[in-house]
Amino acid sequence: MESIALPASVTELMEALSELPGIGPKTASRLAFYLLRGHAELALKLADALHDLVEKTRFCSVCYNVTEEDPCPICSDEGRDHKTLCVVEEPLDLLAIERTGQYNGLYHVLHGALAPLDGIFAEDLRIKELEARVRAGGIEEIILATNPTSEGDYTASYLLTRLKPLGVRITRLGRGLPIGGDLEYADAMTLTRALEGRREMEG
Amino acid sequence: MGPMYVQTLSLRHFRTYARLELELPPAPVLLLGENAQGKTSLLEAIAYLAMGRSPLTTTERHLINWSAVEGGAPFAVVSADVAYRERRERIEIALQQTPTAGGERLGKRIRINGHPVRRADLAGHLNVVLFLPEDVRLVGGPPADRRRHLDDLLSQVSAEYVRALSRYRTALSRRNALLKHLRDEGGDTAQLLPLETALAEAGLFISLQRRACLHHLTRLADEYHRRITGGAWLRLHYRPSFDPLRPTEEAARQPPLFEALEDPPPREALLAAYRQRFEAMRTQEVTRGVTLIGPHRDEIRFIAEAVDLGTFGSRGQQRSAVLALHIAELAWLREMTGEAPLLLLDEVLAELDVARRHRLLDLIGSVEQTILATTDAEMFPAAFRRQALRLRVEGGIITPL
Repeated sequence: MESIALPASVTELMEALSELPGIGPKTASRLAFYLLRGHAELALKLADALHDLVEKTRFCSVCYNVTEEDPCPICSDEGRDHKTLCVVEEPLDLLAIERTGQYNGLYHVLHGALAPLDGIFAEDLRIKELEARVRAGGIEEIILATNPTSEGDYTASYLLTRLKPLGVRITRLGRGLPIGGDLEYADAMTLTRALEGRREMEG
Repeated sequence: MGPMYVQTLSLRHFRTYARLELELPPAPVLLLGENAQGKTSLLEAIAYLAMGRSPLTTTERHLINWSAVEGGAPFAVVSADVAYRERRERIEIALQQTPTAGGERLGKRIRINGHPVRRADLAGHLNVVLFLPEDVRLVGGPPADRRRHLDDLLSQVSAEYVRALSRYRTALSRRNALLKHLRDEGGDTAQLLPLETALAEAGLFISLQRRACLHHLTRLADEYHRRITGGAWLRLHYRPSFDPLRPTEEAARQPPLFEALEDPPPREALLAAYRQRFEAMRTQEVTRGVTLIGPHRDEIRFIAEAVDLGTFGSRGQQRSAVLALHIAELAWLREMTGEAPLLLLDEVLAELDVARRHRLLDLIGSVEQTILATTDAEMFPAAFRRQALRLRVEGGIITPL
């Protein structure tokens, strides 16, 4: 009954905000009233940004990263190594790898990981597209850089069964101890993986 | 005599308790009080620290004393100082309910000496054997109860077992969700393969551990059962739902080969047998939308004198079998860890005749600390009562007598 007192434009905004992940009705109304109470400039800036997001950005038709031009700047960069493909779950993972400045190959963004319990299956990810890219030829190595979570591991194992027959080299991102960490406080799983992934020292 | 015992126990908002700080001696402790005053909850709290899971409920919210929570986020804390042969440590489990976008989440934090650890890391610390009056129902009750009982025992000594169980459960629920999806919507069945590898690896480990543990337990339980009953043999019969040692259906109906433990086939062959079975079951499992083989379907039967006690045993026979099992667990834990576990007994004496009561009191003399809950102190011999610390439990408050 209370909502009768609120104009439709406010309730509509509140409802839209509360559909966002991590935002409940309480936070949604707080955000809506914040914008309403004298933050008109911010509201318009947000509106423009949202508009551009929908109008200007799309997914790259090759790697499925978010981009304003298609193909994306990475895929169309002739200076990069087009024989190596790094497979990540999300565009933010791609950014994280780019920030290292150590990788010069191309990417493929899956947009998620296999999670049957959340209703996410192979057909919901960009896996068919990945397979097609590899079949088209020219790719020699695929780095599976899905997260070191059980969903990420599951996805990597499944990708291995699908890509192995195509005759490319398939590697998985190494995993181990955090830099600056203390062995004493590392959990058993991390230590086990670090032991499995140990390397010959060259001195 | 084993030197492991609980020196102090402290509870906040746990079950009937609002707040409890208790010091305990390395000696028998008698908890006296009427029903529903908090005796069982105190035993449960200690078992909770040993197993990382309550043996009485699978719903951890129920452990929080909601009426004692004054404002703020609801929480419960159980902690104990445990003394060992040459060291002491503090074990703590805290539950805290926090609001999230989609409702409420119950967080669980386990610490040993202040360091956050995982549930599996509790293995090899505090060990207990818990005797509950309702354990007699283990014999004839649903198989899931017997599996859980065995899992709780193994979880106390093997962190790897706890991790395998958790990996197994995750892979199982994923595979079941995927099977339903394949049945209803179709899709690439190759998605099953990594999950089947995970199930085979964790499942093989679990069933070999269960087999080895039951192999020991059955020998020990048989010995005590003969003494208790005047000569009747007892066997804990493990019937894995899939036995990679006997992968064909016909062979699976035979008793498992304990001899095979001494010289098991190579792991790769066992894993391959598992995967082949999954492949053979595929159509059936997709149609049913559920995983039909593996440790989650294992069965354990109590057989005495060739009679299945779960189906044909009298209550008295079932009680003897469970008592023999518990005593065997105590001996097994001692063998595995080199230290006697704590004994936690809830109203167990009431159900026993005089001869069995004496055997149990002998047993109490063989461990460092036993905590007994009873409504009737008269049940115990005067000499025993004199050497025990006697505590009155009333409405979640404990007072020395």
